[in-house]
Amino acid sequence: MTYILNRLLSIALTLFLISVLTFAVTTILPGDVATMIMGTQSNPDALAGLRKSLGLNDPLVVQYGRWIGGMMTGDWGRSLIFKVPIADLLIQKIKASSLIVVLSMAIAAICAVPLGVWAAVHRNRWQDAFSSSAALVGVSLPDFFWGIIMILLFARVLGWFPSSGFADPAMGLLPALSHAFLPSLALGLGLMAHLTRMTRSTMTGILNQEFIRVGRAKGLAERTIVWRYALANAIGPVMTVAGLQVGYLFGSIIVIETLFNYTGMGWLTYQALLNRDIPLIQATLFVIAAVVMLANLVVDLLYLYVDPRIRLE
Amino acid sequence: MKRFLTPKGVIGVTLVLLMLLTAVVAPLLIPADFATRMTMTARLRPPSALHWLGTDQLGRDLLYRVMLGARTSLMIAAAAVMMSLVLGLPLGMISGFYRGRIDNVLMRLVDTLLSFPVLLLALTISAMLGPSVPNAIVAIGVAFTPFLARIVRGEALRVTQMPYVEAARAAGANDFQLIWRHVLPNVMPPIIVQATISLAFAILAEAGLSFLGLGTQPPQSSWGLMIQASRDYLDVAPWTGLVPGAAVALTVLGLNMSGDILRDVFDPRTK
Repeated sequence: MTYILNRLLSIALTLFLISVLTFAVTTILPGDVATMIMGTQSNPDALAGLRKSLGLNDPLVVQYGRWIGGMMTGDWGRSLIFKVPIADLLIQKIKASSLIVVLSMAIAAICAVPLGVWAAVHRNRWQDAFSSSAALVGVSLPDFFWGIIMILLFARVLGWFPSSGFADPAMGLLPALSHAFLPSLALGLGLMAHLTRMTRSTMTGILNQEFIRVGRAKGLAERTIVWRYALANAIGPVMTVAGLQVGYLFGSIIVIETLFNYTGMGWLTYQALLNRDIPLIQATLFVIAAVVMLANLVVDLLYLYVDPRIRLE
Repeated sequence: MKRFLTPKGVIGVTLVLLMLLTAVVAPLLIPADFATRMTMTARLRPPSALHWLGTDQLGRDLLYRVMLGARTSLMIAAAAVMMSLVLGLPLGMISGFYRGRIDNVLMRLVDTLLSFPVLLLALTISAMLGPSVPNAIVAIGVAFTPFLARIVRGEALRVTQMPYVEAARAAGANDFQLIWRHVLPNVMPPIIVQATISLAFAILAEAGLSFLGLGTQPPQSSWGLMIQASRDYLDVAPWTGLVPGAAVALTVLGLNMSGDILRDVFDPRTK
């Protein structure tokens, strides 16, 4: 309990720091909201007037206080390009993206764990070489390149899935899944490669340990040893890597959603950055960093659940 | 040396050397306009004796473009990793060497930066500064700094507690001498491994940035930009995307393989 309370306190502090950094990155670097609204060729007097009315001449601390106050009370401002309240926009886009985040993680976990275990069980044999080489190629290819190959193969040549677009799950689960599948697969393949490498190395270490030898000496079936005892010990570190990959996923999602024209959080972030919609950039940066941090907390808590040794410590 | 002579080591180092050689030599041998010269009568030609890797949508030779793109991509990646080393090494070293309050403050900052996905941070910095090659270097360099700082700090913490550091301190060495002569040389091996792996990630980040139009700008050639330009022609001319994609994949693969081997060489537990 104390651990969880400490973690919550640490999260509150990190969230505060995230907000300061988000505000700093978007405020200190060149380009401001007034220039974004009126354009670079606008009348300097009109620009100065708008800056004053938006409070951009106030000290940075005052501007930060106003922004964070708004964020805490639910007033996240309006998007300059979409002309709608940012909070509504973000909720809608997070819903869209959560489908491909969950799908890609499921694809990665379902494929990576058996592949990594297979490689570790057949260490230094062709199965290991095959699985490790496939994983190495997987981490070496950019996600968007996987995406292009998926579009080419599954959408253009085979015609099984739509090549781009988003379908709202509320309008039907099947169209939503068929639109989300290719982006999820493109994201999941890179993730799978990382997880396979981690599963293989963790399982290799565990399969050399004493308790595994004892299990074998007692005549337990190899399948029981590998899948019940060894994997149960390997799952913690693998989960930690999966948690760390949430950050990687939220970076890649920007490229993949843009490539597939899937109008989720990544696509929204790209539109905000491309059009320098500063209020929207601030909100998306803050939300994504907070989600990544919370995902790591969830993984840590799950780790406590799956590995009783950590609880005892 | 023996450890490099495994298939993985040989393939990895050969790929990296090949790409480095291309990046250094290609611009000296190939006139710059070869990569930008458009031949509208030879658009989207498949690989042939005249154009070994085919041509793109503007009739530009893909072999020349991919060879000249090597310099841009590798140069941005190398400069970005160098920048992250310049920023991350002192940050991690001070944190790990002095510990206590300085460590708490610096690492809290680093952890906060780590909450931002690397590509998102790089894209934001690049978008705010404006897309260009120097800005892409700054964006990727800053985004990679927290990782380097974390690793340097961990290693510095470990090395600072070693008896030889204690002995040097007892012999009268000041902090600067301790860091420069005893801690720094001993934290370098894992940092070199991390830098090699970071180089691979920086190439992917540059490709991602350029793919989204926030990195290298046309007409300069970079691999990410070439993949981006190929998107609309993939069903009629798949080689336009596959050639630069393969260049990225082979370079990153070579760096990852070299990184794995370097890790084995430097890690005493695997000896």
